[in-house]
Amino acid sequence: MLKRTENLPLKIFSSLVYLFLYTPIIILVIFSFNQSKLNVVWQGFTFKWYMVAWQDSAVIQSVRVSLLVALLSTVFSTVLGTLAALALSRYQLRLRTLYDTLFYLPVIIPEIVIGFASVIFFGLIGLRLGLSSIVIGHVAFSVSYVVFVVRARISGMNQTLEEAAMDLGANELQTFFRVTLPLLMPGIISAALLVFTISLDDYVITSFVAGSNATTLPLQIYSMVKTGVTPEVNAISSILLVVTIVLVYLSHQLQQERPPRSAVAILVIAGSLLGMFAIGGATVSNQERQLNLYIWSNYASAEMLKEFEQRYNAKVRVDLYDSNEALLAKLQTGLVDYDLIVPSDYMVSILIKQNLLQPLDKDRLSNLVNLDSRFLSLPFDPENKYSIPYTWGTTGIGYRKDKLNNAVIDSWSALWDEKYRDHISMLDDVRETFGVGLKRQGLSLNTTDANQLAETSRLLKEQKPLVKVYDSATFAELLLSGDAWLAHGYSGQLGKAMSENPNIGYAIPKEGATIWTDNICIPKNAPHADLATLFINFILEPQVSGENTNITAYSTPNKAAKQFIKSEILNNPALFPPDESLKNCEFIKDVGSAIQTYDRYWTEIKSD
Amino acid sequence: MKVPLSEKITNFYHQRIKAQIASLLGPSLVWLGLFFVCPLMVMLFYSFARRGEYGGVEYIFGLWNYLQSFDSLYLIIYWRSIWIAALTTIICLFISYPVAYFIALKAKKQWKGVLLILAVVPFWTSFLIRTYAWMMLLRTEGLLNTLLINLHIIDAPLKMLYTDWAVLIGLIYGELPFMILPLYASLEKLDTKLLEAAMDLGANRLATFLKVTVPLTKVGIITGIILVFIPSLGAFVTPDLLGGAKSIMIGNLIQNQFVQRNQPFGASLSFLLTALVLILLWIGLRAGMKVEEK
Repeated sequence: MLKRTENLPLKIFSSLVYLFLYTPIIILVIFSFNQSKLNVVWQGFTFKWYMVAWQDSAVIQSVRVSLLVALLSTVFSTVLGTLAALALSRYQLRLRTLYDTLFYLPVIIPEIVIGFASVIFFGLIGLRLGLSSIVIGHVAFSVSYVVFVVRARISGMNQTLEEAAMDLGANELQTFFRVTLPLLMPGIISAALLVFTISLDDYVITSFVAGSNATTLPLQIYSMVKTGVTPEVNAISSILLVVTIVLVYLSHQLQQERPPRSAVAILVIAGSLLGMFAIGGATVSNQERQLNLYIWSNYASAEMLKEFEQRYNAKVRVDLYDSNEALLAKLQTGLVDYDLIVPSDYMVSILIKQNLLQPLDKDRLSNLVNLDSRFLSLPFDPENKYSIPYTWGTTGIGYRKDKLNNAVIDSWSALWDEKYRDHISMLDDVRETFGVGLKRQGLSLNTTDANQLAETSRLLKEQKPLVKVYDSATFAELLLSGDAWLAHGYSGQLGKAMSENPNIGYAIPKEGATIWTDNICIPKNAPHADLATLFINFILEPQVSGENTNITAYSTPNKAAKQFIKSEILNNPALFPPDESLKNCEFIKDVGSAIQTYDRYWTEIKSD
Repeated sequence: MKVPLSEKITNFYHQRIKAQIASLLGPSLVWLGLFFVCPLMVMLFYSFARRGEYGGVEYIFGLWNYLQSFDSLYLIIYWRSIWIAALTTIICLFISYPVAYFIALKAKKQWKGVLLILAVVPFWTSFLIRTYAWMMLLRTEGLLNTLLINLHIIDAPLKMLYTDWAVLIGLIYGELPFMILPLYASLEKLDTKLLEAAMDLGANRLATFLKVTVPLTKVGIITGIILVFIPSLGAFVTPDLLGGAKSIMIGNLIQNQFVQRNQPFGASLSFLLTALVLILLWIGLRAGMKVEEK
């Protein structure tokens, strides 16, 4: 009796820890069945998010890529690791400490370091970034896990069986395949399952070494979590959870001395189904012409891409980036195979200077006449030799009229107002955020003056305690959910949010703001430049451009497309603002080496 | 010259063994050498180079990147990373010890396996998804705040997401299994007779725990600390998603160098992080060995 009460606190504490471990996961699964788009209130049971995920071609494609990567890296690392484990535990080795260290290091060294080193190295040897670079990276750290698990199995193994086999006349190979390997099998299989899940789940290293056509599921989930948080992510996560739990269960069953037949059968069936699914996606693409698009999220509607695929019998593959700098970093490795990219104005001029773009074949772009001349011949590419404007907009303030008691927002100084502490979101972008500080003082947002930058940095540091989050992707969601009342952000997403919630307003502050264009360009080493040219002319067609605008809700510079654009989008002041509100606006220009001063102050602000 | 037969046989035997070792160990050594050691070497080389104006690498060598790394600006970031990682480790230890103790020594036999698997399953599930689950819970208008307001515990929503606390919770949540497992392994091996002996000799429960149980499970404690501290130090997804990019850690700083195209500086930061990890590991292993010698 005494004993039971003695253990009670321990029992309660342990239960609480298990509750801590499982509550988030269980809630995540429950809300994948929620009607509501926002993950907060329960509005009834539905399977629709699973359907949405199933029909989302980007998600399905990323699942295929992930499975293919995981299968390949599992096969390679299991074979290599098992052989190494045999050598390490069966032979006297002179350099044993060296080998042990070598196999421990990939597990010990932080992933971010391995990712960074790999992409530098691949750049040096000219290995193209794609499926193979991901597999190579994954195998390099997976081998170690296989070595550990298989070695543990060998050390627990009864060696007398092998000796008996040899005594009975079996040669070494026969002994290995008939006795050693079967005995090792449970260890090998559970190592393989472990490596499979690690590869399926890896984000950090993959994000460095991924290239065209190689968006894995974790990369896809990451960009979904960062851009639009809908229960679709919950649905995908729930499926992944079930798959993982089945794998854990199987691995547990197979660890036993005599694994149950059913477990082996499930493993074989599941393995071949997954394999077929993964390879199914890989073979289709070989038969058609393929266009590799590297673009911002929500910029090209699925409908538009499908129409292009049908009309030109081609396949369009989409990979996403979330900043101009990330785009430049990938292009600069020289290892990616993109055919079309959509950099912003100042990035176009950097890419031209870096000699990373090829001139457009304007004779084949008959639809150029549809464009509004205001957006042609801009300073970053005066003759539009390399770039064609695709969308344009401003960077201003989105605000919640209801939360601000209908206060008038017409100046950047609202973002320094103590009243709104913890309800302000700012872009996580050095040039845009410095632009706000500079414009607030009435200065040019392209300044290279050291004193002005120092003063602006001081202003932004002063503002930081009021800022809830620096985020370039979810600011519109934050405004919709009420987490933010004032959001510094791009007119496109904010305009879309306005149509979802009439309480949201958008202001271009009177001091002026950033005006930007995102422009279609063809990279210098694009493998399918010809198809890319066809694509550019296709999207310049008035109807195509208009219908795409109706879905993505980004302002188009295509004058002829206006007749196809829904009136609520055309009349939205955030998307198509009156000319006089643009008079103080400036394009962001390349500031040359002054960017290092910007970067330094920015790091200082963020680490404050 | 004639070679005796016996020597011939031994030679042949040795060569065979050598060939076997080479064929077993060779492939993975080549792979790791090429795709793990070489990249690190190239990075070491780059860490002494200089950034070009548009982010290329100029092959002019010097120590400037390392000097720049010791700028007070970056020291703050290292200090914060170490502090957050240490806090994560300590809290994980205090949460995990009772749980591991319960599973290893107090739980009924038939429950042990289940409890252990339950502690490991989260480790197998996607790290990104677990982080996302916490984002859902911690939002201003998220589940936890809604619940607390509906229960009239608080009036206005608490600020939870995008704080250092959120980063801490995310890290603890992610690393907890890595602490529970080694602690369990060493508590499982604990000879309970020693505990009874201590009690018989008049030690109370606290004294028995502190003077017998803890010292006997030191290896598990040290392993757990290493397994939790190292990944927390290099974390970069958690501070990004749960911390709102407001208080960056070393991992984010390295990632930013890639995006800002300052590869040489990123390389030097990576090396400093690796060196820090290896030094801490060495200290930990030495402490572990000392315990084992005793």
